Amino acid sequence: MTKLQAKNIVKHFDHNGNSITALDGINLNVEEGDFVCIVGPSGCGKSTFLNIIAGLETPDSGEILLNGKPISTPGPDRIMVFQEGALFPWLKVIDNVEFGLKMAGIPKDERRQISRRYLDMMQLTKFADSYTYQLSTGMKQRVAIARALAMDPEILLMDEPFAALDSQTRDLLLVELQLIWERTKKTIIFVTHNISESVILGNKVEIFKNRPSTIKKEVIIDYRRPRLAEDANLQKYYHEILQELKSEVMARSKDDLK
Amino acid sequence: MRMKLFYKQVLFYVGLIVVWQVIFMTHVIPSQSLPSPLQVGQLLLKEAVNGSLLYAIGTSMWRLVVGLIIAIVGGLILGIFMAKMDVVNQTIGSLILGLQSIPSVAWVPLALLWFGPTDAGTIFVIVAGALFAISINTHSGIKNIPPTYIAAGRNMGASGLQLITNVMIPAALPYLITGFKQGWAYAWRGVIASEIIFSIAGLGFLLNLGKHDSDISQVTGILIIIMIIGILVDGFVFKKLEAKILARWGLLK
Repeated sequence: MTKLQAKNIVKHFDHNGNSITALDGINLNVEEGDFVCIVGPSGCGKSTFLNIIAGLETPDSGEILLNGKPISTPGPDRIMVFQEGALFPWLKVIDNVEFGLKMAGIPKDERRQISRRYLDMMQLTKFADSYTYQLSTGMKQRVAIARALAMDPEILLMDEPFAALDSQTRDLLLVELQLIWERTKKTIIFVTHNISESVILGNKVEIFKNRPSTIKKEVIIDYRRPRLAEDANLQKYYHEILQELKSEVMARSKDDLK
Repeated sequence: MRMKLFYKQVLFYVGLIVVWQVIFMTHVIPSQSLPSPLQVGQLLLKEAVNGSLLYAIGTSMWRLVVGLIIAIVGGLILGIFMAKMDVVNQTIGSLILGLQSIPSVAWVPLALLWFGPTDAGTIFVIVAGALFAISINTHSGIKNIPPTYIAAGRNMGASGLQLITNVMIPAALPYLITGFKQGWAYAWRGVIASEIIFSIAGLGFLLNLGKHDSDISQVTGILIIIMIIGILVDGFVFKKLEAKILARWGLLK
C-alpha cells in the first residue's frame, strides 16, 4: 500500500535577490514499511524535501499525499529526527520523550507508560532523569529516536541523524535502527550524504541530482538484515551509487569554479 | 580556594569596620556626620527587635515583588509581540528603547500625579523602571532561539500559545534571565527612590525619616541594609539561577 506520495514537488529559494530552484519536480512513492534513504550532493535540497514532507516548509507547487490525502501542515503522523537532535535542554530525558504526547493532551500516567517503553527500547532507562547536557552526542540521538517513536508516527523522518557521531557509535546505531525498523514496522525516510549509511539502511535508495534537483535514480537493495558496515556484499551497491553521485559532485565543483 | 576567598572578604570587612571605628575615635569627622559602627549596630538591633526594620524590609520587598511580577508578565508579552510581529518592533519597539533610557526615579512625579502617595504609585515606578528592560531582553531572547527547537516543537504538534509556553519561553530563558536581572536592579532602585520621596513605609521611608531627624546612624544603617539585600538577591538568587540555567542549556564550559 502506498503510504506517502510526493507529486512533482517544486521549491524555489531566494538568494540575494536571485531565485534558485532547489527542487525541480520530485516524484516519489513510499510504500508502507519502506525504509527509503535519500542521498545526494550537499546543497541538493534533500533536507528541504524532508521538511516539506514534515510540513515545516511549503512547496511552491506539487503536493504530498499521506494515505492518499494531501497534507500541508506539521502533524504527529510525520515525526522528524533532526541532525542535531533538537532535544530540549530545559527538560529531563523522559520529559523530552513525552513532549509530543503532552502536546497531544495525553494524560500523565499514560505518557509515562509510553515513554518508559521507548526509553527501554533505546536502552536509556537509567538516563530518564538526566538532562541533555549530561549526555554524549550518541545518547542524545538515542533520545531523539525514542522521542520520535513515542509519537507512534505513520512515517519517521530522519535528517542526517548520525552525521555528528563518531564511527563506532554510528555503526552501533545503524544496526539498532534496522532492528527497530523490523520490530516496529515503521515507514522511514532517511536523508544522508553518506553512501554507506544509505546502503546499510535502505531497501530503496533515492539518488538526488544537483540543484535544480530531481531524483536521478532509484536503487533497490534487497539484502538480508541486519546489515553490517563491513559486509563486502554491500560493496556493489555502494559503487553503483557512488558512480551516480560522482558525476553530480564533479558537475557541482565545475559550477563552483566558474 | 573558595574558603580562602571567603576569609579574604571577612578580613576585608572586619578591617573596614576597624578603620571606620578609628576614624570615628579621632573625631576628624564630626559625630553628627559619621556615626560609629557600634552606634549603627545598636540602632539596627533596636529596630530589628521592635520590628520596625523587618516591617520596612517586608513592605519594600512586597512592593518590589508585586511590581516585578507585573513587569515580567508585561515584558514577556511585549517582547514576544516585538519578536513575532515586525510592525510591533518597528513602532512600539522603538518607543520602548526610548522609555528604557528613563531613570526609574524620573517616573516618580508622574506616579504621584496619577496615583498619589500610595502603594500603587510605588508599584507604578517599579513597573515603569523594569518593564522595558525585560521586554527588550525577551525580544532578543526569542529572536535568538535556535530554529531547530521551533521546528521540533511544531513537528511534535505544538502551535500557537502551546509553542510559546512550552518551547519559546524556556528556549529563550538564558536571555530572559538577563532581562529579569536588569529588571530587578531597576525595580530595586525605583522602590527605594519612590519610598524616599513619598511613602510612609519601607526602607526608603526609614532613610527619609533619618534625614528628617538628622539621625546619621539611621541613614547609615538603612543604607547598609539596602546594600546587603542587593548583594543577597544578586549573588544568591540571580547568580545561582543564571549558573544553573547556563549549565543546563549547555552554555557553560
